[in-house]
Amino acid sequence: MTMLRVRDMTVRFGGIVALDGISLDLNRGEILGLIGPNGAGKTTLFNCISGVIHPDRGSIFFEGHSLVYAPPHVRARFGIARTFQNLQLWGSMTVEENLVVPMDALGRRNTFSDALYLPFSAYAERASRERARAILHVLELDRYARTLAADLPAGIQRRVEIARALAMRPRLLLLDEPAAGLDAQETARLAELLHAVRQRFHVSMLLVDHDMSLVLRVCDYVYVLDFGKLLARGQPSAIRSDPKVIAAYLGEESNQSTGETTTVVAAPKQAAPLLEVKQLAAGYGGLEVIRDVSLQVRPGEVVACIGANGAGKTTTLRAISGMIHPRRGRVMFAGIEVTGRSAERISKLGLIHIPEGRGLFPRLTVEDTLRLVSNTAGHEVDITPAFQLFPKLRERRRQLVGTLSGGEQQMVAMGRAILSKPRLVMIDEMSQGLAPSVVQQLFEIIRVFRDEGIAVLLVEQFVESALDVADRAYVFEHGSIGLSGAAVDLRRDRKLVAGSYLGTAVETPAMAAANGNEHRVDPALMEIVSVRVPAKVKRALEQRAEAEGRPTGAVAIELLEKVDRQ
Amino acid sequence: MTSRLMVRVLVTLVAFAVLARIPVGFDVGFKFDSGLAVIWAFGLLSLVLLTGYVGQISLCQATFAGVGAYAAGMMTATFHVDYIVAVAVGVAAAFALGIIVGLPALRLHGITLAIVTLGIALVFDRYVFQDHAFEWFTGGTGGWSVREASMFGLQMDSSKHLMAAYVVLLALFCLVGLLMVNLHDSGAGRRFRAIRDSELAAATMGVDLTRYKLLAFGMSAAIAGLGGAFYPLVAGTVSPQPFWLFTSLQFAAIAVLMGVRYVPAAALGGAFMAFVPDVLTRFGHGSLFGHQYEISYDWFQIAVGVLLIVQLIALPDGVWGDLRNRVRHARSTVGALGGRRVKVA
Amino acid sequence: MAALAAYTIIGLSLGGIFSLAALGIVLIYRTTGVLNFAHGAMGMFSTFVAWQVFYGWSHPFWPGWISTLLAVIAGLVFAALMGLFLEFAVFRWVRTRDPVVKAVITIGVLLALQSAASLIWKNNQYHLPIYLAPQAATFTIADVPIGANNIVVIVAALVLAFGLGAFLRYTSFGRAMRAVSDSPASASLWGVPVGRVGAVSWMLGSLVAAVAGILITPFINFDTTSLTLLIIDALAAALIGGLVSLPLTVLGGFLLGLLETYPTIWIQSIGFPRLVALLVILAVLVVRNPRGFAVAAK
Repeated sequence: MTMLRVRDMTVRFGGIVALDGISLDLNRGEILGLIGPNGAGKTTLFNCISGVIHPDRGSIFFEGHSLVYAPPHVRARFGIARTFQNLQLWGSMTVEENLVVPMDALGRRNTFSDALYLPFSAYAERASRERARAILHVLELDRYARTLAADLPAGIQRRVEIARALAMRPRLLLLDEPAAGLDAQETARLAELLHAVRQRFHVSMLLVDHDMSLVLRVCDYVYVLDFGKLLARGQPSAIRSDPKVIAAYLGEESNQSTGETTTVVAAPKQAAPLLEVKQLAAGYGGLEVIRDVSLQVRPGEVVACIGANGAGKTTTLRAISGMIHPRRGRVMFAGIEVTGRSAERISKLGLIHIPEGRGLFPRLTVEDTLRLVSNTAGHEVDITPAFQLFPKLRERRRQLVGTLSGGEQQMVAMGRAILSKPRLVMIDEMSQGLAPSVVQQLFEIIRVFRDEGIAVLLVEQFVESALDVADRAYVFEHGSIGLSGAAVDLRRDRKLVAGSYLGTAVETPAMAAANGNEHRVDPALMEIVSVRVPAKVKRALEQRAEAEGRPTGAVAIELLEKVDRQ
Repeated sequence: MTSRLMVRVLVTLVAFAVLARIPVGFDVGFKFDSGLAVIWAFGLLSLVLLTGYVGQISLCQATFAGVGAYAAGMMTATFHVDYIVAVAVGVAAAFALGIIVGLPALRLHGITLAIVTLGIALVFDRYVFQDHAFEWFTGGTGGWSVREASMFGLQMDSSKHLMAAYVVLLALFCLVGLLMVNLHDSGAGRRFRAIRDSELAAATMGVDLTRYKLLAFGMSAAIAGLGGAFYPLVAGTVSPQPFWLFTSLQFAAIAVLMGVRYVPAAALGGAFMAFVPDVLTRFGHGSLFGHQYEISYDWFQIAVGVLLIVQLIALPDGVWGDLRNRVRHARSTVGALGGRRVKVA
Repeated sequence: MAALAAYTIIGLSLGGIFSLAALGIVLIYRTTGVLNFAHGAMGMFSTFVAWQVFYGWSHPFWPGWISTLLAVIAGLVFAALMGLFLEFAVFRWVRTRDPVVKAVITIGVLLALQSAASLIWKNNQYHLPIYLAPQAATFTIADVPIGANNIVVIVAALVLAFGLGAFLRYTSFGRAMRAVSDSPASASLWGVPVGRVGAVSWMLGSLVAAVAGILITPFINFDTTSLTLLIIDALAAALIGGLVSLPLTVLGGFLLGLLETYPTIWIQSIGFPRLVALLVILAVLVVRNPRGFAVAAK
C-alpha cells in the first residue's frame, strides 16, 4: 500500500538546482532511508514533504490526498510528523508540555475555555498528560517529564523530539538526521529504538542520515541522491556494494598510479610538529560533535582528513582556526598555544583556513579579494603570483566573485592562500560541487603548495584523490579518529576505508519485542498508546478506571481478558 | 490544578483590595496618576501577551490604546452612550486594528516586523490622529472632551469621580491579568509559547500559525485598547500626545526592563511610568551646594533609555524575570552539560 | 508642467536627505548587524550641536560663512565622537547577540538621546535653521519657491554618496569594510580587523546622519522630535536597497522623496508623507518576500 507518493519534485534556489525531478514511493509500515553526499538535496526534500518549502514543480500524494497547497499544520493533521536536524524543541517548556502541544493542536482545543479553566478543558488536559506520560515511558524518558527542554543534554533532546512527533499519532514520521552528534553506542541504541517505535506505534518512517550504520540497520529500502538527482535505490545490502554509490561517496577509483609515491620524504620524521592538536572537543549549542580528536601536521607535510559526513572533520578545522571555541583540549601552532584565540589572530600567525563553501565575499571582485591580503599583512602585497598560478583568474580579475564558477572560486581562495605566505593551509571540502577535471587541477595545486614548503591539512570527500596527494591521513569516525597512517597504506586497503563510510556488514539484530532493552515496561501503560478504540468506549473505560483508582490500561486488559474467556 | 487556580484568585483578590485603597486620602493629582498607572499597565500587559508569550515584536501598542481612547471618546461625545458601551466599542476597534496589523506579521519577523509596527505607530501618531480627514474619529484638534459620562446609569464626572474610575480600571486589570496567567498555563498558552520558541516546529506539529498569530495580535491590541478606552474618563479629554510614538517605544523599553514575560511586571511598569515623572516634578528640585537643580521628566526618559541599554547587555530577562529565574534555577532538576552551556537562541 | 519640475526638484532634495540617512543605516547594519533605530536621533543631536555653535557662539562673532563652517565642523566632530562612543561603550559588547536584541538597544539609545536633547534645547520650534547657501537666492518656478538650498542639498547628497562609494571601492580600508559587510565570519578568517571596521562604520554612519540633519533644517519644523522621526523614511529608503546595496539605497532615497512630494500638490497634510513611507515599506517587503513558507527557524 503506497502511503507516500512523491513525483517529479523539483526545487531551485537561485541558480542552484537542489532537487531535480525526484520521485519516491513509501509503503505503509516501511522504514525508508534517504542518503547521499552533502548537498544532495535530502533536507530540501524533507522540507517539501512537511510543507516548509513550496517546490517549483512536482506533486506529493499522502494516502491519496494531494498535499500541494496544504500548509504545514494541515499536513500534520493528515498524520505527517517530523524531527529536525538542528533540534527544534520548545526550550521554555517541560518535556511533558512539549508532548502535549501537538496533541492539543490536533484535538482542536478552544482558547477561551482554556483560559477560564472550564471543566471539560481540565478533563482534556488530564487525558493529554496521561498519554504524554505513556509515550515518555516507552522511550525511557519518564524522569525528564518535568524538566525544561532547554536543560537537557543533546542525546536526550533527540529522543524527546521523537517522542513529541509520536505524540501526534502520526502515520508517517520524517526523521532528519536523528543520529547527528551521537557516538557509535548511542547510534546503536537509536536503531533499536526506531525498530521498537515502528512496532509499538505502527508508524512508517522516512529517515535521512549520514550515518550508514544506522541506515543499514534500520531501513527496509534505501534511495540514494546525488546532486539533486536519484542515483540508486534498493535494499541496503545492495546499496552498500553498488559501485556508483561508492564512487559518489569516495570518488572514482583511480586507475593510474601517481608514479612516485615516495615524495613523502619532504620533512624529516623527527621534525617538531607545526600543528599539534590534543584531545580536542567542540560542538554547537547542546551538540558535541567532536569528543577526542588528536592529530599532528609536520612542516611541509600534506595530511588528509577523511571520513563520513557528520564525523567531525569540518568541526575540527573550525575549532583549530578559531571559528568556534573548543570546549576541551589544546591546539598548538608553531609552538604557540592558540586554543580559543580569535580567528583574526590565528590567521595572522600563518595558519590559514579555507572553510567549507570557500569563505569568499560574493560582492567583491577577484582583484579586490586578492588585494585584501594586504590588510592582513599590513603592507602592500604583490598579487601577480596568484595570477601566475591561476592564469584563468587574470582574465576575470574585475569579475565579482559571486558570479564565478565553483572551480574559479576555489582558485581565488587558494590564490589568496599562496599570497599570504602561510605555514599551514587547512582546506575544507575543496572538491565540493566541482567537476572531476577541475578537481584534478586543484589537487595539482596542492602539490605546488608542498613544493613551496607550505603544509596542508586537507578535509576531503574524494578519498582516492586525497590519498593520492597526501603523505598521511586520519580517518574520522563519530567525533574522533578511527584509523590513521601513511596514505600509501590506506590506499591499498580501499575496503577498509569504504567500510568507514558505508558501514561494515552487520547482521540486523532480531528486533522482536519492544523489550529488546533491559527496561521493564508496564503493560498497562503501553496499551493506552497503541490501541485505537471508539471514543465512547474509551471514556467509559476511563471513568471506570478513575472510580476504581487504577490505570485505564489495566482495566481495559482485564475487560478484554474477560471477553476473551467468554 | 484547581488548588493553583484558587491560590491565584486569592492573590488577585488580595492585591485588588490592597491596591484599591492606596489613593484614598490623596489629592486629585495622585488619583489621576493612579488611574493613568493602570491604563499604562494595560499597555504593558498587551506586550506581555504579544512579545512575552508569543514572541512577536511590536512597537505600536500605544497606537492601539489610542484607538481605544478615541473610539470611546467619540462614542461618548457624539452619541452619548453609556460609558461601558463606549469602552466596548473602543476595545472592538482596537481588536480590529490589531488583526489588520497582524496580517503583515504572518510573513515578517524580528527586525522587519519592528520596522512595520514603527511605521504604523508613526503614521497614526502624525497622520491619523492629527489630520482633518479623520476628524469624525478624533474630534478635531481639541480632541474629545468628556466632562460628564454615565456608567451603569451613574453619573461620573471626570474630576470628581476619579476614585470610582480607578477602582473599575483596577478591577478590570486584575481580572484580565488573572485570565492571562491562566492562559499562560493553558493549552492555548502553550501553543502561543510554542510559536515563540520555535515557529517551525509549531507549524509542523499542527499549530495553525495564521489563526494564532492573528489572535495574538488582536487580543493584545484589545487589551491595550481596553486601557486606552478609559483614558477619556480619567483625563477628561483625548489628544494624540499620550499615544504618540514615544509612548509605544517606552512601552517596549519598560516591558523589557521589568520583564516582558510576567504579568506583575506590567503592573510594576505601569506604576513606574505614571508616578515617577510626577514625583520628579514635585520633589525633584531644590538646591544643592548653592545651585538650583531640577529633575524633569526628560531625566526619567534618559534613565529609562540608559537602563534599557545596560540591562540588555547584562541581564537579558528583566528585573522581575531575573529574580524569578534565580529562584527557578535553584530548583532545576538536571544540571548544565559538561563544559560551558551555551544559551540556545 | 513647470510645476511638476518644481516639485521634482523639491522632491529630489528631500530624497537626497533620505538617501544620506539611509546610507548610514545600511552601512552600520551590514558591518555590525545593528539596525540603528536611533539614527535619526543621532543626526538630530549632532545637528543641534551645530546649531548651538552657530547661533550661540559663532554667529555673533564671525562673518557669515566662517560661522557656518565652524558650526558644521563642530557638528561633524561631535557626530564622529558620538559614533565611536556608541561602538566602544555599547555595541562592542553585544556583537554576537540576536539582531532583534541589538535593535532594541538602539531604541534605548533613541530614548536617551531624544530626552537629552529635549532637556538641553527644550521642545521649542526653532525658526533659525542653518543655511548652507545664501538665503536670498530663491527663484520661483511656476509659483513654487525653490531655494538655492534645494540645489545644495541635491548636490551635497550626490557628492557624499559618490564619495562614500569611492572610499569603499578604492581604498584599502574601504575594501575591508566591504568584506566585513559581505560576510563577517569569513572576514575574520582573513584577518580583517572586524572590530575596527565596526568602529569606523559607526563613525561614518553618524557623520552621514549629521550631514543629513544639517541639510534638512531649512525645510522642516526644526525641533527635537521631527528630526528623530525621519527614521521611518530613512528605513524605507534602506529597505528599497534591500539593506544590502548602497547604490539602490541612494536611488531608493530619491525615489521616496519624489513619492512623498508629488501628492502634496493635491493633499495638504503634515502627516500624509509618513503614510507614503509606510506604504512603500509594506510594498517593498511584500515584493521581496522569500518564496514558500516564510517561517522563522531559530
